[in-house]
Amino acid sequence: MQRRYRTIFDLKLNESALAIAVTDPSLAGKLTAMGVLPGTLIELVRPAPFGKAYYIKVDGVRLALREEEAASILLDV
Amino acid sequence: MSERSGRPLKVALIGNPNSGKSTVFNQLTGLRQKTGNFPGVTVDIKEGRLRFPSGAEATLIDLPGTYSLYPTSSDEKIVAAVLTNPSDTFFPDALVYVADVTHLEKHMLLLTQLMDLGLPVLLALNMSDTAKEMGMAVDVAVLSKRLRIPIVSISGRTGENIQMLMHELEKVIHGIQPGKKSPSTVFYKLRDVEKPVVEAIRQNTNIDNAYRALLLAHHHSWLPFLQKHERETLAAIVQTKEFPSLRAQVDETLDRFDRFTPLVRDAIQQSQAISNTNTDRIDAVLTHRLLGPLTFFAVMLMVFMAIFFGYDLSGGWVENISGSAIDTVGDTLPDSWFSSLLVKGVLPGLQGVLVFVPQIALLFLLITILEEVGYMARAVFIFDKTMRRFGMNGRSIVALIGGGACAVPAIMGTRTISNWKERIITVMVTPFISCSARIPVYLVLIPVALPSSSWWTKALVFGGMYFFGLSAALGAAYVFKKILKTSDPSFLALELPEYRMPHWKNVWLTVWEKVRAFIAGAGKIIFLISIALWILGNTGPEGALERAEKNVILSYSAMATHEELDDKIAAKKLEASYAGMLGKYIEPAIRPLGYDWKIGIALLSSFAAREVFNGTMYTIYSLESVGKLEEEASSNQRPFERYGRLRRQMTDDTFENGDRIYTFATGISLLIFYALAMQCMSTLAVVRRETGAWKWPIFQFLFMSGLAYLAAWLAFTLLS
Repeated sequence: MQRRYRTIFDLKLNESALAIAVTDPSLAGKLTAMGVLPGTLIELVRPAPFGKAYYIKVDGVRLALREEEAASILLDV
Repeated sequence: MSERSGRPLKVALIGNPNSGKSTVFNQLTGLRQKTGNFPGVTVDIKEGRLRFPSGAEATLIDLPGTYSLYPTSSDEKIVAAVLTNPSDTFFPDALVYVADVTHLEKHMLLLTQLMDLGLPVLLALNMSDTAKEMGMAVDVAVLSKRLRIPIVSISGRTGENIQMLMHELEKVIHGIQPGKKSPSTVFYKLRDVEKPVVEAIRQNTNIDNAYRALLLAHHHSWLPFLQKHERETLAAIVQTKEFPSLRAQVDETLDRFDRFTPLVRDAIQQSQAISNTNTDRIDAVLTHRLLGPLTFFAVMLMVFMAIFFGYDLSGGWVENISGSAIDTVGDTLPDSWFSSLLVKGVLPGLQGVLVFVPQIALLFLLITILEEVGYMARAVFIFDKTMRRFGMNGRSIVALIGGGACAVPAIMGTRTISNWKERIITVMVTPFISCSARIPVYLVLIPVALPSSSWWTKALVFGGMYFFGLSAALGAAYVFKKILKTSDPSFLALELPEYRMPHWKNVWLTVWEKVRAFIAGAGKIIFLISIALWILGNTGPEGALERAEKNVILSYSAMATHEELDDKIAAKKLEASYAGMLGKYIEPAIRPLGYDWKIGIALLSSFAAREVFNGTMYTIYSLESVGKLEEEASSNQRPFERYGRLRRQMTDDTFENGDRIYTFATGISLLIFYALAMQCMSTLAVVRRETGAWKWPIFQFLFMSGLAYLAAWLAFTLLS
């Protein structure tokens, strides 16, 4: 079965994709307030040196997200 | 004009993190600012005075940076709690909203929430200089008309249009009339899911503003100003109307973005992509898999070297100048109890604080620069995983680094950690980090413990003390991680700001404010302690001091010189004084650690502030001798050669059985004790304020000092 969405983990370095939703309700409030919204362009910059976190860009704004936070952002295919 | 119903007008400065809000605050208030802990207020908020061109004045309150009125951390909660409570001390009459114009869409959410609260808002579009460089054109007139609020384009960094901002703000304030509501600027239209709850709240309480009612529905469980019955009423309404709080917050946010995004796009013309390639290039190194952590450790090593060699190069001029000043005062004043109190009590105590003011200023300077350029956020990103392993948050690393200067501001900075457990652990272990108050203590004790070792060995031990403190902090954090439980959500979600040159006015003001707060806090405590110590050292039970003097004269009158006899008298008098009795009283408890009653007095007084150790030792040994405190000022002493006379007196001192007190084992035992013990009243006070309960500072005092006792005892037993 073909997946209808991707996550940040599926992106290659410096690859971008459009966000379609934030799944986890407890994270959604925080992430949307920081500008992670459906329709914004998410770019993976690089994973953290020791892992477990990601450096991303949201419409050009730089954010550091934990694995769980990054996982809750659904991206289009 | 500046007064309304008897109190000065209040203006709050508000904005997202990284909006450049503090730069604007500094531009507006300069040195007319302070961080107050106000009576009845549990948090410290910076405030400053605004002087308008017309001569009118107002108070400017610097609210913490936040993305929305739906907070997750306690500094964000402060904003929501102040703005939903018109009787709060900080509740403003008007708002200045600072937004980064180069990312305006991201900064609009909070602005539109504030507009809906019905407060007069002035929008300051900050970083207009960067916008110009990027070829961005902003149609202020269009934006102002569409939002129906006044707008000024400014640059906090260059100071551009700051006067215009003041002028516009004065117009806004002029428009405020008591009892009259400001013209409606309602931005967000309540959705069907919110209407019944808001209506019920407006009917059952005296709240009229719809958005404030909505915020109370969302936040009723934690808002600190609500009375019990108010909280119950709100809870009942939310429950009967089945209000889905979390969902409603997200939907409201999305709805607002849908509304203001077209407005912003109409007003702003972007001629090129906004990504800053300089930041990309720097981050390619500083957040690199290998180079990132390496750079971090290199930076930390450089900070440490700067403190140590800064101290070395300063040549001890603070000690020399203050030491000879004390001697001059002693020579000038006629002999009296007052000159004795001054020269042997208060002044040596104050000298103990002054000697490390250059050190603490240098540390605050380096840390402030790291924060200003945007580096700290990268350290948080790199070490989030590591810190979580020890039950903390990536943000804890900022507190641990800051703790190297002083734990008090470092602990206040933990408000950005949203998870209760992560924050409490950070607060609990930060005081283990070797703060600048420990530097002079280490510098006296290391050469006492290792009198004949090379300079480099001593320097290595000095560095080892920092490593020891950090290990203790991480070890304790790991234990707390296993014990404490919480269901709070934990976030990293952190904005990494663009790198920029430090704004020096910000840097100087921050360093000045922190050093001043430190001197005021520590100075007060040390002043009182040294007076108390002098009194206790000069008084005793009826006739005890006189008897001690007579006994010395009777048994030692054959002594060679007058000076030696006088010294002996002074020593015996101190022993017979209340201070001596107190020291003797606790001596049995500290003897297992290798300490005598004089160290006992120093330990007792150090619980007020650890840096009191040197001052107390000075006072004790100078009360004990009649000679001058300082040896002739010899210029350019290296760190471990300082405090020469005090150290010689200490090393020569013996127990009653003639054994030397300060052996290697005692020295190491004391070093360990001072590294681990909770000896700082200012820290305990700030822990009380930040945790809201006495149990945390009490627990912290007991576990840290208990650990210090055990570790010092173990070290002494093994080494002697």
